[in-house]
Amino acid sequence: MKSIKIKADNLNVYYGEKQALFDVSMYMEEKQVTALIGPSGCGKSTFIRCLNRMNDVIDICKVQGKIEIDGNNIYAPSMQVEQLRERVGMVFQKPNPFPKSIFENVAYGPRIHGIAENKSDLEEIVVNSLKKAALFDEVKDRLNDAGTGLSGGQQQRLCIARAISVNPDIILMDEPCSALDPIATARIEELMGELKTEYTIIIVTHSMQQAARVSSRTGFFHLGKLVEVDKTETIFSNPSDQRTQDYITGRFG
Amino acid sequence: MSEHIVSSYDEQLDLINSTLIKMGGLVETQLHNSLVALGDKDTAFAEEILRDDNKIDALEKEIDALTYKVIAMRQPLANDLRTVLSALSIANDLERMGDHATNIAKRVANVKINMPDTPVSEIVNMGENVQRMIKNVLDAFVQKSDTLAINAWDLDGDIDELYLSIYRDLLKTMAEDPDTITGCSHLLSIAKNIERIGDYVQNIAEDIHFITTGQALERKSEKRIKWEKV
Ligand SMILES: Nc1ncnc2c1ncn2[C@@H]1O[C@H](COP(=O)(O)OP(=O)(O)O)[C@@H](O)[C@H]1O
Ligand SMILES: [Mg+2]
Repeated sequence: MKSIKIKADNLNVYYGEKQALFDVSMYMEEKQVTALIGPSGCGKSTFIRCLNRMNDVIDICKVQGKIEIDGNNIYAPSMQVEQLRERVGMVFQKPNPFPKSIFENVAYGPRIHGIAENKSDLEEIVVNSLKKAALFDEVKDRLNDAGTGLSGGQQQRLCIARAISVNPDIILMDEPCSALDPIATARIEELMGELKTEYTIIIVTHSMQQAARVSSRTGFFHLGKLVEVDKTETIFSNPSDQRTQDYITGRFG
Repeated sequence: MSEHIVSSYDEQLDLINSTLIKMGGLVETQLHNSLVALGDKDTAFAEEILRDDNKIDALEKEIDALTYKVIAMRQPLANDLRTVLSALSIANDLERMGDHATNIAKRVANVKINMPDTPVSEIVNMGENVQRMIKNVLDAFVQKSDTLAINAWDLDGDIDELYLSIYRDLLKTMAEDPDTITGCSHLLSIAKNIERIGDYVQNIAEDIHFITTGQALERKSEKRIKWEKV
Protein backbone atom coordinates (compact mmCIF):
# COMPACT_ATOMS: atom_id res chain seq x y z
CA MET A 1 0.00 0.00 0.00
CA LYS A 2 1.03 3.61 -0.67
CA SER A 3 1.87 5.73 2.34
CA ILE A 4 -0.82 7.96 3.72
CA LYS A 5 -0.32 11.68 3.25
CA ILE A 6 -3.53 13.10 4.65
CA LYS A 7 -5.89 11.62 7.18
CA ALA A 8 -9.22 13.12 8.22
CA ASP A 9 -10.73 11.79 11.41
CA ASN A 10 -14.37 12.34 12.37
CA LEU A 11 -14.51 15.71 10.74
CA ASN A 12 -17.61 17.78 11.53
CA VAL A 13 -18.00 21.20 9.98
CA TYR A 14 -20.66 23.82 10.73
CA TYR A 15 -21.58 27.11 9.10
CA GLY A 16 -23.29 28.76 12.06
CA GLU A 17 -26.14 26.44 13.02
CA LYS A 18 -25.99 24.49 9.81
CA GLN A 19 -23.87 21.36 9.75
CA ALA A 20 -22.12 20.89 6.40
CA LEU A 21 -19.99 17.79 7.11
CA PHE A 22 -20.87 14.81 9.32
CA ASP A 23 -18.18 12.56 10.79
CA VAL A 24 -16.07 12.42 7.68
CA SER A 25 -13.11 10.06 7.97
CA MET A 26 -10.89 9.22 5.05
CA TYR A 27 -7.24 9.05 4.09
CA MET A 28 -5.47 10.21 0.97
CA GLU A 29 -2.40 8.46 -0.37
CA GLU A 30 0.87 10.20 -1.08
CA LYS A 31 1.66 11.08 -4.71
CA GLN A 32 -1.69 9.82 -5.88
CA VAL A 33 -4.76 11.57 -7.21
CA THR A 34 -7.83 11.29 -5.01
CA ALA A 35 -11.13 12.38 -6.57
CA LEU A 36 -14.14 13.66 -4.66
CA ILE A 37 -17.52 13.46 -6.32
CA GLY A 38 -21.11 14.15 -5.29
CA PRO A 39 -24.05 16.43 -6.03
CA SER A 40 -23.73 20.19 -5.54
CA GLY A 41 -23.92 21.28 -1.94
CA CYS A 42 -22.86 17.91 -0.54
CA GLY A 43 -19.76 19.40 1.10
CA LYS A 44 -16.88 18.63 -1.28
CA SER A 45 -15.53 22.19 -1.29
CA THR A 46 -16.04 22.45 2.45
CA PHE A 47 -14.00 19.29 2.87
CA ILE A 48 -11.03 20.29 0.75
CA ARG A 49 -11.04 23.79 2.24
CA CYS A 50 -10.44 22.11 5.59
CA LEU A 51 -7.24 20.57 4.24
CA ASN A 52 -5.43 23.91 4.11
CA ARG A 53 -7.61 25.67 6.67
CA MET A 54 -9.14 27.98 4.09
CA ASN A 55 -12.31 27.75 6.16
CA ASP A 56 -10.57 29.75 8.91
CA VAL A 57 -11.34 32.92 7.01
CA ILE A 58 -15.08 32.24 7.14
CA ASP A 59 -16.22 33.62 10.48
CA ILE A 60 -19.24 31.40 10.98
CA CYS A 61 -17.36 28.26 10.01
CA LYS A 62 -16.50 25.86 12.82
CA VAL A 63 -14.37 22.77 12.29
CA GLN A 64 -14.31 19.83 14.71
CA GLY A 65 -12.25 16.69 14.44
CA LYS A 66 -8.76 16.05 13.26
CA ILE A 67 -6.86 16.34 10.02
CA GLU A 68 -3.35 15.00 9.91
CA ILE A 69 -0.83 15.73 7.20
CA ASP A 70 2.25 13.54 7.51
CA GLY A 71 0.95 12.60 10.94
CA ASN A 72 0.66 16.17 12.29
CA ASN A 73 -2.69 17.60 13.25
CA ILE A 74 -3.10 20.74 11.17
CA TYR A 75 -5.71 22.07 13.58
CA ALA A 76 -3.29 21.89 16.52
CA PRO A 77 -2.65 25.32 18.10
CA SER A 78 1.03 25.06 17.24
CA MET A 79 0.32 24.78 13.52
CA GLN A 80 1.43 27.80 11.53
CA VAL A 81 -1.29 28.43 9.01
CA GLU A 82 0.94 30.38 6.61
CA GLN A 83 3.34 27.46 6.42
CA LEU A 84 0.46 25.05 5.98
CA ARG A 85 -0.85 27.01 2.99
CA GLU A 86 2.62 26.92 1.48
CA ARG A 87 2.58 23.13 1.68
CA VAL A 88 -0.99 22.79 0.50
CA GLY A 89 -1.64 24.71 -2.69
CA MET A 90 -5.04 25.29 -4.22
CA VAL A 91 -6.49 25.70 -7.71
CA PHE A 92 -10.05 26.92 -8.13
CA GLN A 93 -12.92 26.34 -10.49
CA LYS A 94 -12.55 29.62 -12.33
CA PRO A 95 -8.99 30.44 -13.30
CA ASN A 96 -8.15 33.50 -11.22
CA PRO A 97 -4.79 34.96 -12.30
CA PHE A 98 -3.82 38.24 -10.67
CA PRO A 99 -4.12 41.26 -12.94
CA LYS A 100 -0.39 41.19 -13.42
CA SER A 101 2.14 39.78 -15.86
CA ILE A 102 2.54 36.06 -16.36
CA PHE A 103 5.90 36.27 -14.66
CA GLU A 104 4.56 38.16 -11.64
CA ASN A 105 1.68 35.73 -11.22
CA VAL A 106 4.15 32.92 -10.60
CA ALA A 107 6.76 35.02 -8.81
CA TYR A 108 4.28 36.39 -6.29
CA GLY A 109 4.21 33.40 -3.97
CA PRO A 110 7.93 32.70 -3.77
CA ARG A 111 8.46 36.41 -3.16
CA ILE A 112 6.03 36.82 -0.26
CA HIS A 113 7.11 33.52 1.28
CA GLY A 114 10.72 34.58 0.93
CA ILE A 115 11.62 31.47 -1.00
CA ALA A 116 13.88 33.06 -3.61
CA GLU A 117 17.34 34.27 -2.51
CA ASN A 118 17.84 36.65 -5.41
CA LYS A 119 16.54 37.66 -8.81
CA SER A 120 18.03 34.77 -10.78
CA ASP A 121 16.73 32.32 -8.18
CA LEU A 122 13.29 33.77 -8.67
CA GLU A 123 13.56 33.53 -12.44
CA GLU A 124 14.55 29.92 -12.17
CA ILE A 125 11.59 29.15 -9.93
CA VAL A 126 9.19 30.87 -12.33
CA VAL A 127 10.55 29.04 -15.36
CA ASN A 128 10.54 25.68 -13.59
CA SER A 129 7.01 26.16 -12.31
CA LEU A 130 5.78 27.14 -15.76
CA LYS A 131 7.52 24.09 -17.20
CA LYS A 132 5.99 21.77 -14.62
CA ALA A 133 2.61 23.26 -15.40
CA ALA A 134 3.23 22.51 -19.10
CA LEU A 135 2.80 26.18 -19.97
CA PHE A 136 6.35 27.45 -20.49
CA ASP A 137 6.66 26.69 -24.20
CA GLU A 138 3.45 28.58 -24.93
CA VAL A 139 4.39 31.74 -22.99
CA LYS A 140 8.19 31.90 -22.92
CA ASP A 141 8.30 34.83 -25.34
CA ARG A 142 5.74 36.91 -23.52
CA LEU A 143 6.34 36.51 -19.81
CA ASN A 144 5.60 40.18 -19.29
CA ASP A 145 2.18 40.04 -20.93
CA ALA A 146 -0.85 40.09 -18.67
CA GLY A 147 -1.86 36.69 -17.25
CA THR A 148 -5.46 37.58 -17.82
CA GLY A 149 -4.80 37.73 -21.59
CA LEU A 150 -4.25 33.98 -21.80
CA SER A 151 -6.91 31.47 -22.88
CA GLY A 152 -8.97 29.81 -20.14
CA GLY A 153 -6.95 26.60 -20.24
CA GLN A 154 -3.68 28.52 -20.18
CA GLN A 155 -4.90 30.65 -17.28
CA GLN A 156 -5.71 27.50 -15.35
CA ARG A 157 -2.25 26.11 -16.00
CA LEU A 158 -0.86 29.48 -14.89
CA CYS A 159 -2.76 29.05 -11.63
CA ILE A 160 -1.26 25.58 -11.31
CA ALA A 161 2.21 27.05 -11.93
CA ARG A 162 1.45 29.64 -9.25
CA ALA A 163 0.38 26.90 -6.83
CA ILE A 164 3.53 24.83 -7.36
CA SER A 165 5.90 27.83 -7.29
CA VAL A 166 6.03 27.72 -3.48
CA ASN A 167 6.99 24.06 -3.45
CA PRO A 168 3.90 22.46 -1.93
CA ASP A 169 3.48 18.73 -1.22
CA ILE A 170 -0.22 18.80 -1.85
CA ILE A 171 -2.36 20.43 -4.52
CA LEU A 172 -6.09 20.84 -4.00
CA MET A 173 -8.17 21.35 -7.13
CA ASP A 174 -11.79 22.38 -6.84
CA GLU A 175 -13.48 21.61 -10.17
CA PRO A 176 -10.43 22.86 -12.07
CA CYS A 177 -11.80 22.02 -15.50
CA SER A 178 -15.43 23.00 -15.24
CA ALA A 179 -14.82 26.25 -17.14
CA LEU A 180 -12.61 24.64 -19.78
CA ASP A 181 -13.23 23.08 -23.19
CA PRO A 182 -12.43 19.38 -23.78
CA ILE A 183 -8.96 20.04 -25.24
CA ALA A 184 -7.91 22.33 -22.39
CA THR A 185 -9.41 19.77 -19.99
CA ALA A 186 -7.38 16.97 -21.56
CA ARG A 187 -4.21 19.09 -21.13
CA ILE A 188 -4.91 19.59 -17.44
CA GLU A 189 -5.65 15.88 -16.98
CA GLU A 190 -2.41 14.99 -18.75
CA LEU A 191 -0.63 17.47 -16.53
CA MET A 192 -2.11 15.91 -13.40
CA GLY A 193 -0.61 12.60 -14.47
CA GLU A 194 2.82 14.24 -14.49
CA LEU A 195 2.30 16.26 -11.33
CA LYS A 196 1.35 13.27 -9.24
CA THR A 197 4.90 11.95 -9.46
CA GLU A 198 5.81 14.85 -7.16
CA TYR A 199 2.62 15.97 -5.48
CA THR A 200 -0.36 14.54 -3.69
CA ILE A 201 -3.44 15.74 -5.55
CA ILE A 202 -7.03 16.04 -4.40
CA ILE A 203 -9.54 16.93 -7.08
CA VAL A 204 -13.21 17.78 -6.81
CA THR A 205 -14.98 17.08 -10.07
CA HIS A 206 -18.48 16.79 -11.44
CA SER A 207 -17.32 14.64 -14.30
CA MET A 208 -17.41 10.92 -13.54
CA GLN A 209 -15.25 10.29 -16.57
CA GLN A 210 -12.68 12.73 -15.30
CA ALA A 211 -12.58 11.14 -11.86
CA ALA A 212 -12.26 7.73 -13.54
CA ARG A 213 -9.47 8.92 -15.80
CA VAL A 214 -7.25 10.77 -13.35
CA SER A 215 -7.66 9.29 -9.89
CA SER A 216 -6.65 6.13 -8.10
CA ARG A 217 -9.18 6.52 -5.29
CA THR A 218 -12.57 8.19 -5.29
CA GLY A 219 -14.81 9.36 -2.47
CA PHE A 220 -18.53 9.94 -2.92
CA PHE A 221 -20.15 12.60 -0.73
CA HIS A 222 -23.86 12.99 -0.22
CA LEU A 223 -25.67 15.41 2.13
CA GLY A 224 -22.48 16.15 4.04
CA LYS A 225 -21.58 12.51 4.57
CA LEU A 226 -18.84 10.51 2.97
CA VAL A 227 -20.95 7.64 1.64
CA GLU A 228 -18.17 5.55 0.20
CA VAL A 229 -14.50 5.78 -0.65
CA ASP A 230 -12.68 3.09 -2.55
CA LYS A 231 -10.42 2.35 -5.45
CA THR A 232 -11.69 4.40 -8.39
CA GLU A 233 -12.13 1.29 -10.47
CA THR A 234 -14.38 -0.23 -7.83
CA ILE A 235 -16.44 2.92 -7.38
CA PHE A 236 -17.23 3.10 -11.09
CA SER A 237 -17.64 -0.59 -11.80
CA ASN A 238 -19.16 -2.04 -8.67
CA PRO A 239 -19.74 0.38 -5.79
CA SER A 240 -21.03 -1.10 -2.54
CA ASP A 241 -23.54 1.59 -1.63
CA GLN A 242 -26.80 1.97 -3.53
CA ARG A 243 -26.56 5.78 -3.27
CA THR A 244 -23.18 5.74 -5.01
CA GLN A 245 -24.56 3.51 -7.74
CA ASP A 246 -27.59 5.74 -8.23
CA TYR A 247 -25.46 8.87 -8.42
CA ILE A 248 -22.82 7.64 -10.85
CA THR A 249 -25.36 6.03 -13.16
CA GLY A 250 -27.46 9.19 -13.28
CA ARG A 251 -30.38 7.97 -11.20
CA PHE A 252 -30.35 10.46 -8.37
CA GLY A 253 -33.79 11.89 -7.74
CA MET B 1 -34.15 -0.42 -10.14
CA SER B 2 -34.99 3.26 -10.02
CA GLU B 3 -35.05 5.23 -13.22
CA HIS B 4 -32.46 7.45 -14.81
CA ILE B 5 -32.93 11.19 -14.66
CA VAL B 6 -32.59 11.19 -18.45
CA SER B 7 -35.55 9.08 -19.54
CA SER B 8 -34.24 8.50 -23.07
CA TYR B 9 -31.35 6.60 -21.45
CA ASP B 10 -33.86 4.23 -19.85
CA GLU B 11 -35.60 3.87 -23.20
CA GLN B 12 -32.34 2.80 -24.84
CA LEU B 13 -31.57 0.26 -22.12
CA ASP B 14 -35.16 -1.03 -22.22
CA LEU B 15 -34.88 -1.49 -25.96
CA ILE B 16 -31.71 -3.56 -25.55
CA ASN B 17 -33.47 -5.67 -22.93
CA SER B 18 -36.62 -6.22 -24.95
CA THR B 19 -34.64 -7.07 -28.10
CA LEU B 20 -32.65 -9.66 -26.14
CA ILE B 21 -35.84 -11.17 -24.78
CA LYS B 22 -37.33 -11.29 -28.26
CA MET B 23 -34.17 -12.96 -29.55
CA GLY B 24 -34.26 -15.48 -26.71
CA GLY B 25 -37.87 -16.27 -27.56
CA LEU B 26 -36.94 -16.96 -31.18
CA VAL B 27 -34.12 -19.28 -30.11
CA GLU B 28 -36.47 -21.17 -27.83
CA THR B 29 -38.96 -21.54 -30.68
CA GLN B 30 -36.23 -22.59 -33.09
CA LEU B 31 -35.19 -25.41 -30.79
CA HIS B 32 -38.80 -26.41 -30.18
CA ASN B 33 -39.54 -26.57 -33.92
CA SER B 34 -36.38 -28.53 -34.62
CA LEU B 35 -37.37 -31.06 -31.98
CA VAL B 36 -40.85 -31.39 -33.49
CA ALA B 37 -39.32 -31.93 -36.93
CA LEU B 38 -36.96 -34.51 -35.47
CA GLY B 39 -39.64 -36.35 -33.51
CA ASP B 40 -41.95 -36.46 -36.53
CA LYS B 41 -39.07 -36.96 -38.97
CA ASP B 42 -40.77 -34.20 -40.91
CA THR B 43 -38.25 -33.10 -43.54
CA ALA B 44 -40.57 -30.51 -45.11
CA PHE B 45 -41.10 -28.77 -41.79
CA ALA B 46 -37.33 -28.94 -41.11
CA GLU B 47 -36.68 -27.15 -44.42
CA GLU B 48 -39.10 -24.47 -43.41
CA ILE B 49 -37.42 -23.85 -40.04
CA LEU B 50 -33.99 -23.36 -41.59
CA ARG B 51 -35.02 -19.95 -42.85
CA ASP B 52 -35.83 -18.67 -39.38
CA ASP B 53 -32.17 -18.60 -38.40
CA ASN B 54 -31.80 -15.33 -40.33
CA LYS B 55 -34.20 -13.59 -37.97
CA ILE B 56 -32.06 -14.58 -34.99
CA ASP B 57 -28.90 -13.34 -36.70
CA ALA B 58 -30.57 -10.05 -37.57
CA LEU B 59 -31.55 -9.47 -33.95
CA GLU B 60 -27.98 -10.05 -32.83
CA LYS B 61 -26.81 -7.33 -35.20
CA GLU B 62 -29.53 -5.06 -33.87
CA ILE B 63 -28.37 -5.61 -30.30
CA ASP B 64 -24.75 -4.95 -31.29
CA ALA B 65 -25.75 -1.65 -32.84
CA LEU B 66 -27.87 -0.63 -29.85
CA THR B 67 -25.12 -1.36 -27.33
CA TYR B 68 -22.47 0.52 -29.30
CA LYS B 69 -24.81 3.46 -29.46
CA VAL B 70 -25.47 3.47 -25.71
CA ILE B 71 -21.77 3.19 -24.92
CA ALA B 72 -20.91 6.05 -27.28
CA MET B 73 -23.75 8.30 -26.14
CA ARG B 74 -24.02 7.59 -22.41
CA GLN B 75 -20.76 6.12 -21.17
CA PRO B 76 -22.65 3.72 -18.88
CA LEU B 77 -21.14 2.92 -15.48
CA ALA B 78 -21.49 0.30 -12.77
CA ASN B 79 -24.62 -1.87 -13.17
CA ASP B 80 -25.52 -0.08 -16.41
CA LEU B 81 -22.11 -0.89 -17.82
CA ARG B 82 -22.44 -4.52 -16.78
CA THR B 83 -25.89 -4.71 -18.36
CA VAL B 84 -24.69 -3.29 -21.65
CA LEU B 85 -21.55 -5.42 -21.87
CA SER B 86 -23.48 -8.53 -20.88
CA ALA B 87 -26.09 -7.77 -23.53
CA LEU B 88 -23.37 -8.15 -26.16
CA SER B 89 -22.22 -11.44 -24.75
CA ILE B 90 -25.74 -12.81 -24.24
CA ALA B 91 -26.70 -11.87 -27.81
CA ASN B 92 -23.60 -13.69 -29.00
CA ASP B 93 -24.51 -16.80 -27.00
CA LEU B 94 -28.09 -16.74 -28.24
CA GLU B 95 -26.86 -16.53 -31.81
CA ARG B 96 -24.71 -19.63 -31.26
CA MET B 97 -27.68 -21.41 -29.65
CA GLY B 98 -29.77 -20.53 -32.69
CA ASP B 99 -27.11 -22.06 -34.95
CA HIS B 100 -27.10 -25.30 -32.97
CA ALA B 101 -30.89 -25.50 -33.05
CA THR B 102 -30.83 -24.87 -36.78
CA ASN B 103 -28.19 -27.56 -37.27
CA ILE B 104 -30.66 -30.07 -35.85
CA ALA B 105 -33.23 -29.04 -38.44
CA LYS B 106 -30.57 -29.20 -41.15
CA ARG B 107 -29.80 -32.83 -40.40
CA VAL B 108 -33.48 -33.75 -40.26
CA ALA B 109 -34.04 -31.98 -43.59
CA ASN B 110 -31.13 -33.56 -45.40
CA VAL B 111 -30.90 -37.01 -43.94
CA LYS B 112 -33.69 -39.00 -45.44
CA ILE B 113 -32.43 -42.15 -43.88
CA ASN B 114 -33.17 -44.58 -41.17
CA MET B 115 -33.08 -43.09 -37.67
CA PRO B 116 -33.92 -45.63 -34.96
CA ASP B 117 -36.98 -44.60 -32.94
CA THR B 118 -35.84 -45.17 -29.35
CA PRO B 119 -32.82 -42.87 -29.40
CA VAL B 120 -34.84 -40.26 -31.31
CA SER B 121 -37.38 -40.00 -28.55
CA GLU B 122 -34.62 -39.89 -25.92
CA ILE B 123 -32.99 -37.04 -27.79
CA VAL B 124 -36.26 -35.17 -28.14
CA ASN B 125 -36.74 -35.56 -24.40
CA MET B 126 -33.27 -34.18 -23.72
CA GLY B 127 -34.00 -31.30 -26.09
CA GLU B 128 -37.20 -30.47 -24.26
CA ASN B 129 -35.23 -30.26 -21.04
CA VAL B 130 -32.82 -27.82 -22.64
CA GLN B 131 -35.74 -25.84 -23.98
CA ARG B 132 -37.00 -25.48 -20.40
CA MET B 133 -33.54 -24.30 -19.38
CA ILE B 134 -33.73 -21.61 -22.05
CA LYS B 135 -37.11 -20.54 -20.77
CA ASN B 136 -35.82 -20.45 -17.19
CA VAL B 137 -32.75 -18.43 -18.02
CA LEU B 138 -34.85 -15.95 -19.99
CA ASP B 139 -37.16 -15.59 -16.98
CA ALA B 140 -34.08 -14.99 -14.84
CA PHE B 141 -32.99 -12.30 -17.29
CA VAL B 142 -36.38 -10.59 -17.37
CA GLN B 143 -36.57 -10.54 -13.57
CA LYS B 144 -32.83 -9.87 -13.15
CA SER B 145 -32.91 -12.70 -10.64
CA ASP B 146 -29.64 -14.22 -9.55
CA THR B 147 -31.45 -17.12 -7.87
CA LEU B 148 -33.34 -18.09 -11.02
CA ALA B 149 -30.15 -17.77 -13.03
CA ILE B 150 -28.28 -20.13 -10.74
CA ASN B 151 -31.19 -22.59 -10.85
CA ALA B 152 -31.01 -22.59 -14.63
CA TRP B 153 -27.24 -23.04 -14.48
CA ASP B 154 -27.58 -26.08 -12.24
CA LEU B 155 -29.97 -27.84 -14.61
CA ASP B 156 -27.13 -28.37 -17.05
CA GLY B 157 -25.79 -31.19 -14.89
CA ASP B 158 -28.87 -33.27 -15.80
CA ILE B 159 -28.39 -32.51 -19.48
CA ASP B 160 -24.82 -33.74 -19.39
CA GLU B 161 -26.01 -36.98 -17.79
CA LEU B 162 -28.72 -37.47 -20.38
CA TYR B 163 -26.21 -36.80 -23.11
CA LEU B 164 -23.86 -39.42 -21.73
CA SER B 165 -26.58 -42.04 -21.55
CA ILE B 166 -27.79 -41.27 -25.09
CA TYR B 167 -24.23 -41.50 -26.30
CA ARG B 168 -23.85 -44.93 -24.75
CA ASP B 169 -27.16 -46.14 -26.20
CA LEU B 170 -26.24 -44.96 -29.67
CA LEU B 171 -22.89 -46.74 -29.53
CA LYS B 172 -24.68 -49.89 -28.47
CA THR B 173 -27.28 -49.63 -31.23
CA MET B 174 -24.59 -49.14 -33.86
CA ALA B 175 -22.61 -52.10 -32.56
CA GLU B 176 -25.65 -54.34 -32.64
CA ASP B 177 -26.90 -53.27 -36.06
CA PRO B 178 -24.36 -51.76 -38.48
CA ASP B 179 -27.20 -50.67 -40.80
CA THR B 180 -28.02 -47.95 -38.28
CA ILE B 181 -24.51 -46.46 -38.24
CA THR B 182 -25.23 -43.57 -40.61
CA GLY B 183 -28.46 -42.60 -38.88
CA CYS B 184 -26.97 -42.96 -35.42
CA SER B 185 -23.96 -40.83 -36.20
CA HIS B 186 -26.30 -38.04 -37.29
CA LEU B 187 -28.18 -38.52 -34.06
CA LEU B 188 -24.89 -38.27 -32.15
CA SER B 189 -24.29 -34.88 -33.73
CA ILE B 190 -27.81 -33.76 -32.92
CA ALA B 191 -27.41 -34.79 -29.30
CA LYS B 192 -24.13 -32.88 -29.23
CA ASN B 193 -25.88 -29.77 -30.62
CA ILE B 194 -28.42 -29.95 -27.82
CA GLU B 195 -25.76 -30.46 -25.20
CA ARG B 196 -23.91 -27.37 -26.46
CA ILE B 197 -27.07 -25.28 -26.19
CA GLY B 198 -27.19 -26.22 -22.51
CA ASP B 199 -23.63 -24.93 -22.12
CA TYR B 200 -24.63 -21.59 -23.63
CA VAL B 201 -27.54 -21.37 -21.21
CA GLN B 202 -24.95 -21.64 -18.46
CA ASN B 203 -22.97 -18.77 -20.01
CA ILE B 204 -26.08 -16.62 -19.99
CA ALA B 205 -26.81 -17.54 -16.37
CA GLU B 206 -23.25 -16.44 -15.54
CA ASP B 207 -23.84 -13.12 -17.28
CA ILE B 208 -27.03 -12.57 -15.29
CA HIS B 209 -25.12 -13.29 -12.10
CA PHE B 210 -22.52 -10.72 -13.17
CA ILE B 211 -25.16 -8.11 -13.98
CA THR B 212 -26.92 -8.52 -10.65
CA THR B 213 -23.93 -8.94 -8.33
CA GLY B 214 -20.91 -7.52 -10.14
CA GLN B 215 -19.07 -10.78 -9.46
CA ALA B 216 -18.07 -13.63 -11.71
CA LEU B 217 -20.01 -16.82 -10.93
CA GLU B 218 -17.73 -19.36 -9.29
CA ARG B 219 -19.61 -22.59 -9.39
CA LYS B 220 -18.85 -26.20 -10.15
CA SER B 221 -21.24 -28.81 -11.41
CA GLU B 222 -22.03 -31.37 -8.75
CA LYS B 223 -22.41 -34.02 -11.36
CA ARG B 224 -19.24 -34.59 -13.30
CA ILE B 225 -19.63 -36.68 -16.38
CA LYS B 226 -17.77 -39.96 -16.20
CA TRP B 227 -16.51 -40.30 -19.76
CA GLU B 228 -13.93 -42.86 -18.80
CA LYS B 229 -16.79 -45.30 -18.20
CA VAL B 230 -17.98 -45.09 -21.80
N1 LIG C 1 -19.52 30.25 3.38
C1 LIG C 1 -20.62 29.52 3.65
N2 LIG C 1 -21.54 29.98 4.50
C2 LIG C 1 -22.65 29.26 4.78
N3 LIG C 1 -22.93 28.06 4.25
C3 LIG C 1 -22.04 27.55 3.37
C4 LIG C 1 -20.84 28.24 3.03
N4 LIG C 1 -20.16 27.51 2.14
C5 LIG C 1 -20.89 26.38 1.94
N5 LIG C 1 -22.01 26.40 2.68
C6 LIG C 1 -23.06 25.35 2.74
O1 LIG C 1 -22.45 24.11 3.06
C7 LIG C 1 -22.96 23.06 2.28
C8 LIG C 1 -21.85 22.41 1.51
O2 LIG C 1 -21.38 23.31 0.53
P1 LIG C 1 -20.10 23.03 -0.36
O3 LIG C 1 -19.03 22.51 0.48
O4 LIG C 1 -19.81 24.26 -1.13
O5 LIG C 1 -20.64 21.87 -1.32
P2 LIG C 1 -20.09 21.36 -2.73
O6 LIG C 1 -18.71 21.89 -2.92
O7 LIG C 1 -20.15 19.88 -2.63
O8 LIG C 1 -21.03 21.86 -3.77
C9 LIG C 1 -24.04 23.68 1.40
O9 LIG C 1 -25.28 23.48 2.02
C10 LIG C 1 -23.68 25.14 1.37
O10 LIG C 1 -24.83 25.94 1.23
MG1 LIG D 1 -17.95 23.11 -4.50
